[in-house]
Amino acid sequence: MTINEFKSACSAIEQEYKTKIGQAADSAAVEELRVAALGRKGALTELLKGLKDFSIEEKKEAGPLGNALKAKLAAALDEKTEFFAAKEINDELNKVTLDLTLPGYPVAKGHRHPLSVAQDRMTTILSRLGFEWAEGPWVEDEKHNFDLLNIPLHHPARDAQDTFFVDSKMPLVLRTHTSNVQSRYMEKHKPPLRIMAPGRVFRNDSLDATHSPVFHQIEGLYVDKNVSLADLKSDLSAFMKGLFGNKAEIRFRPSFFPFTEPSVEVDVKCVFCQGKGCNVCKGSGWIEMLGAGVVHPNVLRNCGIDPEVYSGYAFGMGVERLAMMMLNIKDIRTFYENDLRVLKQF
Amino acid sequence: MKILYSWLKDFIDLDLTPEELVKKLTDLGIEVASVETTGADFEGVHVAQIIKIEDHPDSDHLHLVTLDLGGGKTQRVVCGAPNVAVGQKVPLARVGARLGKTVLKAAVIRGVESEGMICSSDELGLTQTRARGIMVLDENLPLGTDVSSLYGKPDSLFDLEITSNRPDLLSHLGVARELGALLNKPVKLPEVKNVKGEGKALEVEIQNPQGCPRYTGRIIRGVKNAESPEWMKQRLAAMGLNPKNALVDVTNYVMFELGNPLHAFDLREVEGGKIIVRNAQEGEKFTVLGGRELTLNANCLMIADAHKATALAGIMGGLDSGIKDDTQDIFIEAAYFDAPTVNKTVKKFAISSDSSQRFERGTDIEGVTLAMQRATDLFLQLCGGTASEVVDVYPTRYESPVVTFTPAEINAILGAQIPEERLKEIFSRLAAEFHADGEKWTFKAPTHRRDLNHKWDLAEEAARFAGYDMIPVSETKASLAFADNPKGIDVGKKYAAALIGAGFCECKNIDFLGEKELKAFGVDPKFCIKIKNALAQGWDYMRPVLLPALLKNVESNFRFGNHNLALFETTKTFQSIKGFPVEGYAVAGVLTGTLEQEKFFGGALRPVDFYWLKGLMEALFADVEGVTLVPSKTAPVYMHPKICMDIVFGGKVIGVFGKVHPLTLKTFGIKAQDVWAFEFTTKLLEKAFSAQDFKPAKDVAVFPPSLRDLSVVLDETVPYAAVTSALDKTPLDVDMTYHLIDLYQGEHLPQGKKSVTFSLAFSSPKGTLKDKEVDAAFNRIVEQLHTQVGAELR
Repeated sequence: MTINEFKSACSAIEQEYKTKIGQAADSAAVEELRVAALGRKGALTELLKGLKDFSIEEKKEAGPLGNALKAKLAAALDEKTEFFAAKEINDELNKVTLDLTLPGYPVAKGHRHPLSVAQDRMTTILSRLGFEWAEGPWVEDEKHNFDLLNIPLHHPARDAQDTFFVDSKMPLVLRTHTSNVQSRYMEKHKPPLRIMAPGRVFRNDSLDATHSPVFHQIEGLYVDKNVSLADLKSDLSAFMKGLFGNKAEIRFRPSFFPFTEPSVEVDVKCVFCQGKGCNVCKGSGWIEMLGAGVVHPNVLRNCGIDPEVYSGYAFGMGVERLAMMMLNIKDIRTFYENDLRVLKQF
Repeated sequence: MKILYSWLKDFIDLDLTPEELVKKLTDLGIEVASVETTGADFEGVHVAQIIKIEDHPDSDHLHLVTLDLGGGKTQRVVCGAPNVAVGQKVPLARVGARLGKTVLKAAVIRGVESEGMICSSDELGLTQTRARGIMVLDENLPLGTDVSSLYGKPDSLFDLEITSNRPDLLSHLGVARELGALLNKPVKLPEVKNVKGEGKALEVEIQNPQGCPRYTGRIIRGVKNAESPEWMKQRLAAMGLNPKNALVDVTNYVMFELGNPLHAFDLREVEGGKIIVRNAQEGEKFTVLGGRELTLNANCLMIADAHKATALAGIMGGLDSGIKDDTQDIFIEAAYFDAPTVNKTVKKFAISSDSSQRFERGTDIEGVTLAMQRATDLFLQLCGGTASEVVDVYPTRYESPVVTFTPAEINAILGAQIPEERLKEIFSRLAAEFHADGEKWTFKAPTHRRDLNHKWDLAEEAARFAGYDMIPVSETKASLAFADNPKGIDVGKKYAAALIGAGFCECKNIDFLGEKELKAFGVDPKFCIKIKNALAQGWDYMRPVLLPALLKNVESNFRFGNHNLALFETTKTFQSIKGFPVEGYAVAGVLTGTLEQEKFFGGALRPVDFYWLKGLMEALFADVEGVTLVPSKTAPVYMHPKICMDIVFGGKVIGVFGKVHPLTLKTFGIKAQDVWAFEFTTKLLEKAFSAQDFKPAKDVAVFPPSLRDLSVVLDETVPYAAVTSALDKTPLDVDMTYHLIDLYQGEHLPQGKKSVTFSLAFSSPKGTLKDKEVDAAFNRIVEQLHTQVGAELR
């Protein structure tokens, strides 16, 4: 065998087996070809046996050529083997007929109460605006619920609060607003201070579709040097953007609260009709959201803060009101009925 | 406060439409609850009768209607109303007629000229909603009658919501003043004749000048009580009052007009020729108008004569002292009563009147003079008689405080840049005594504005009159040191998140409970906070426990058709300890039915049982070192006596869990289903919680453990805890963990025996264990269980 004969034998084998591997019908056929080409008596093995008769120079050329062909054929055979192995698995899988349209098994999933959902959203935004979470008692003395907040004992403003009184020797009430946290906090902390106080409040109102003796508010208070009504407007504007998106707009209307002066009612441009007028905003284009104002100098003074040095703003917002509007809940009693069919929606 | 537009116009020239006025009032912070329009706001509309109806040649719904106008004249108009019929008498507006603001012109409708229109009620402004067809009038009306004569002059009635700081707005004059300041228009006070009168009035003695700083009065003799004139009756009716007679009506009229309440006494009932303003005696009885008898205390301010009380000052007259039909001589009172003094009595007796509502908010002490003169004029005009001189006891003249401020201070409060000139304009319209000559400005409020006492009050006035839109939006500028949430909040959130993860739904309940629930939970009401003015029976106490409300939720959910429940609540609980309120946070939950909400095709429902609940509790407290779950020695009354465990932390029982007692369920109306429950307080757990606490992770085993199952048989009376205690105490050279995988009693075991199977995992940090090391440990365990609890290898 000349070197040239060797070379042409190699390419003949390569040609033949490439074709055969390509045509192999199953993994058994591949194994037969492997034996026929690379087995002890295989075609390539037999050919390579002839190498020993070549000169050293010829071996240097023919050896690598033969080995390369061997590796090439082995790789082609392996590839085909893997192909059939995968095919067998896939053929098996394709026989499966699971009805994927059947329902899934019931996985027990818990739900947060809609009022918590609303409150969490609001506290998250306020927290990002730098408000610290502060707390106060729900059973409160009249001093912190009224007196320090510039709501004098014998004044109609105090009567307007529909207060629950506690049967006790001390003058205790169920707090009528979260504003008690203002007086509590300012007694203990000096400015600058920036707090939010979410929580329950109580009013002696019979339970009906729009009133509940128990409801939730979020109070905000910021006291520092040079805090003005404009700061209130900017912070509430940011807060409403957080709640309703960057297009949210607010406006102030004059109002009266004993603990703020000036006092404002804050409206947000109706988020349902973008101010065009709809059922929710009763055609006005604006929705009343909360009451706010500049902290009354008497309140600061009562809590030991000099109103000539410091100033502040405060706001108070109903959680139920917002939740009813945003979650399309028409009756406030829904929140306290705890019907699973409702709870599961949030 | 109701304000009648025509009455308001007595004091100020206004050409605003009712809508425009509402806008102005709203901008000033005066909420308008409603506007009612009355009367006819149209001219040139007459009664006509339909005599012929033909089809419009170019339309299938329009008609050509011919009407008889009276006096032999007829007119043809185009009309599309569905209800036209021959013979109807209708309001016809001809070209030139005015309907509201529009003046009617001739129109060509589909090619036919129409020189007028038959009106519907809403086109005439008589109804607010759209009418379905033309208005059909009374068939007896003569042809040609001016329809507007049937409805009176147009007017609007505004219902204003006046905040308690603005009593001056509880009168037509007050609202006129506010609008005058806004619109820069003069306010016309009612013209009075300033009758000097003849002869002395009664002697007046004020015993409590603090409660009554000013008292004026005069006698009018020889009055003839009569019905009030129509105009006065109409105005009072608009205010919501039933007109009575001229003597009573005048006092009310002046109050709604000027804001100062007046009171008229029948002179016959004033004994001893003297009025004494004094405090009541403790326990003194007094019967007010309407017949209610009050037992007074020393805080009540009274108007009395020489012998007896005749009125509850500023609130209500006595039963006998009032005006009667045959009253001939009267004594009129115009006074100023201290607001808190009046409020105390109002609150004490829950008694209120138009008069007290004004006094308890604060009236105009100087306005008393004008009110007396105005009333005098009206009395003399309507009832005749002769007036006495006015007695005026006013020992200390009221002086409004003078506010000294700079315009910069006003702008600093508002964060605004209102020009000085604009501020000057606003303040000078509000007070005659405003001076802006130097750097410091001074403002002395008129006596009807007792709410203007310092620069913050003036800042609000500046903002109201300049408009709140001028307040700019600045940048959010605050940033403070970081502070954690209150621990009670964070701990509550932590358990809420864990429970929601375990499939629970959060509930929120009203915080009130009744004695029945307290009793069912073995709570003595004396340790609870009781509400004095509870809304309803059963809502008397602030809840000391959360479970009663959750059991109510179970009951109501059963009614709603929800039978598989996992509910929880986390909120405050309340106790009264030595008379002091004590608040704490608690977490409670109830479980009933199956873990799955409904049957499903792929497997069996898993009913909730004790061990599921216990597993939940173990998971809940897994991260708090030191929490142990211990069988309750004495279960609380509301729990099953044998299926209840204590949650113990720091040596204290912080809560319980287990099966709810069937009698408790019965109390709450829950039938046919077991309920499992837990409740614990979080006060102590807060100590183990820190928002900044990052627990370092423990290394996990590098070398795989060797697993062996161990089944032993022992007496059924041996509690599981005894077995694990023996396991825990076995001295071993290797690490071992175990968990229970089977518990069996029955067929293949002797009577009174049970089989317990554990999966044991042996490991070492040094390397993979050899079989013989594992065998040695396993055998030692078998031996230990045998000697400690008498267990035999199965």
